[in-house]
Amino acid sequence: MSATPSTNPISPGQPPGQSTGQPVGQPHQKRRGRSKADAVLGLLTRGSAVAILLMVASLLGVLLHAAWPSIRQFGPSFIVSSEWRPNAIERPLIGPDGKVVIEDGETVLETLPPAFGALPVIYGTAVSATIALLLAVPLSLGSALFIVRVASRYRFAGVVSFLIEFLAAIPSIAYGMWGIFVLTPFLQKHLEPMLFRLFGDFSIFGWAFFDSSGRAIGLTGRDMLCGGLILGIMILPIITAVSRDVLRAVPRAQVEGALALGATWWQSCIAMLRYSRSGLFGAVMLGLSRAAGETMAVTMVIGNNNQISPSPFAPAQTMASLLANEFGDVTGELHRSALLQVALILLIMSLVFNITARRLVVGKGSRSSAAH
Amino acid sequence: MLRFAANARRRHFSQLMYVLCALFTGLIIAVLGLVTLLMLQKGLAYVSLDFFTKSPELNDRGVLAGGMLNGIVGTLILISLASIIGVPLGMLAGVFLSEYGQESWMGTPVRFVADVLTGVPSIVVGILGYELVVVPMGTHSGWAGAFALAFIMIPIVARTSEEMLKLVPQSYREGSLALGATKAQTILRVVLPSAAGSVVTGVMLAIARVSGETAPLLFTALGVRFLVSDPSQPFPSLTVMIYNYARSPSPEQQNLAWAGILVLLLILFAINLLTRLVASRSVRRVA
Repeated sequence: MSATPSTNPISPGQPPGQSTGQPVGQPHQKRRGRSKADAVLGLLTRGSAVAILLMVASLLGVLLHAAWPSIRQFGPSFIVSSEWRPNAIERPLIGPDGKVVIEDGETVLETLPPAFGALPVIYGTAVSATIALLLAVPLSLGSALFIVRVASRYRFAGVVSFLIEFLAAIPSIAYGMWGIFVLTPFLQKHLEPMLFRLFGDFSIFGWAFFDSSGRAIGLTGRDMLCGGLILGIMILPIITAVSRDVLRAVPRAQVEGALALGATWWQSCIAMLRYSRSGLFGAVMLGLSRAAGETMAVTMVIGNNNQISPSPFAPAQTMASLLANEFGDVTGELHRSALLQVALILLIMSLVFNITARRLVVGKGSRSSAAH
Repeated sequence: MLRFAANARRRHFSQLMYVLCALFTGLIIAVLGLVTLLMLQKGLAYVSLDFFTKSPELNDRGVLAGGMLNGIVGTLILISLASIIGVPLGMLAGVFLSEYGQESWMGTPVRFVADVLTGVPSIVVGILGYELVVVPMGTHSGWAGAFALAFIMIPIVARTSEEMLKLVPQSYREGSLALGATKAQTILRVVLPSAAGSVVTGVMLAIARVSGETAPLLFTALGVRFLVSDPSQPFPSLTVMIYNYARSPSPEQQNLAWAGILVLLLILFAINLLTRLVASRSVRRVA
């Protein structure tokens, strides 16, 4: 950048006019005005920079403060408990013999207080993001390779890149609508019944089609699978765009060397992938962080059920969709506080993913417009 | 003989993978193209003049339908408010990162934090807006929505304007300083004007990104069914209306949601196109 004030010949602190003994009337006045503008601009820009630091501090501070009652009440068991009960419920008391306790001809009821545990939503977030990555990573890496190795030799590389970047700009609510009206009916009427016909008879796939009591899971199309698929589609553009930039930065010599040694086209691609593996891993992490924090589309298709089920055909819930569904009408202070703790966990998780990703995608990759 | 066979196998495998890569690219474009085409088709079928001129009213079957005038106006006002807060702050921070960043210990941490902030899930920003603005004000409001949108905008604007300002050749700054200009003059009259086109591009990209957001508005602006101009009250927005109507069982509301998506996409597309226009023009000027 520019020289530091001490060596800067026109630094406002040492006007050259003074040292040469020239009359210091007007120019000096003018310079005072200028240095004031300097100070104001410096102050304003510095203030804005401090504002950015304050933004992250306020995020962490406010969420931590508001989540504190829940953190204090549940402690670390919050993330391993799978009870999510915003309202106290009454249910028949089960005696030690496993039967409903009956006194004086009436069932004895026990009251369960509200309880909150984040395991179901952490599970839902992890599984739906995994499905998304399984779908998106092969497709994106394949097409990034195609864009860099093949399309860039022809005119349509720009078109393909433009299309993919434009698709990254489609808002998540639009993907959500598509999910509700196209993907969900398709899964419900075609894909899931077909899978059931193909695999439903095999007991090793029983976990996917039957719940713990042996009943068949209703194939509604609003389930973990649908949530994962829509997330996968949504993160295609960003993973493609970032890994394209990463692959483009591979030195030509790497590819040419491989080819000169007799490698086939695909083997030279492998050499490229291996060379840029940390950047590609960063691209995947960026996609993962997108998938984990994505809200609207998932909320619309995942079925919104706070229970853990191993089946991809059972309705589920992610952290973000839980917040979207329940934060609007909380039942009490503890409920709100528990939701804020979920938000805090989500925030910290996405910060960790993002920081890792940006460490890995060094240089050009992170500057890709789609990375924002 | 054996070696030839192995060679042929790996060559065939390579060809297979080549075709697969091409197929994957086609598949991505096809899937995403299908998504867009369906929206165009459905949206064009249901968009009407009423959509732009009426707010939702109860029809004879007791369903809220008609148009989304309030949402369109609401979104435009929210974006403007967010830009008024977010653009100057973001640009000043960008100027700091590019022009003062190296001299100050704050440069690296601010850049890092801005990068990290662009990845914060938007629903979390919405909840922050609720806690910081809605709770103290005692009511959901347009201000809270604008705050949440600005929160998302600031880091994007800051980072893109930093990158754009850094593209201005160092010799411009040195020339200006050598002519006796102060740092403020150099920045305001030399650096910023020569990067103006690309900085505007960055700002518009941030605006485009924010105008499609729903999650930050759910708990801040909330939404109402009529036209509102006072941002201290619950405020309608196109995206929240689409979200509510898309989940409704009534076909009238679903159709409205489709039309809403189309209008939203057209707004985004217009911003994108405008951005490309500005960008190409500024590139031509520099060249």
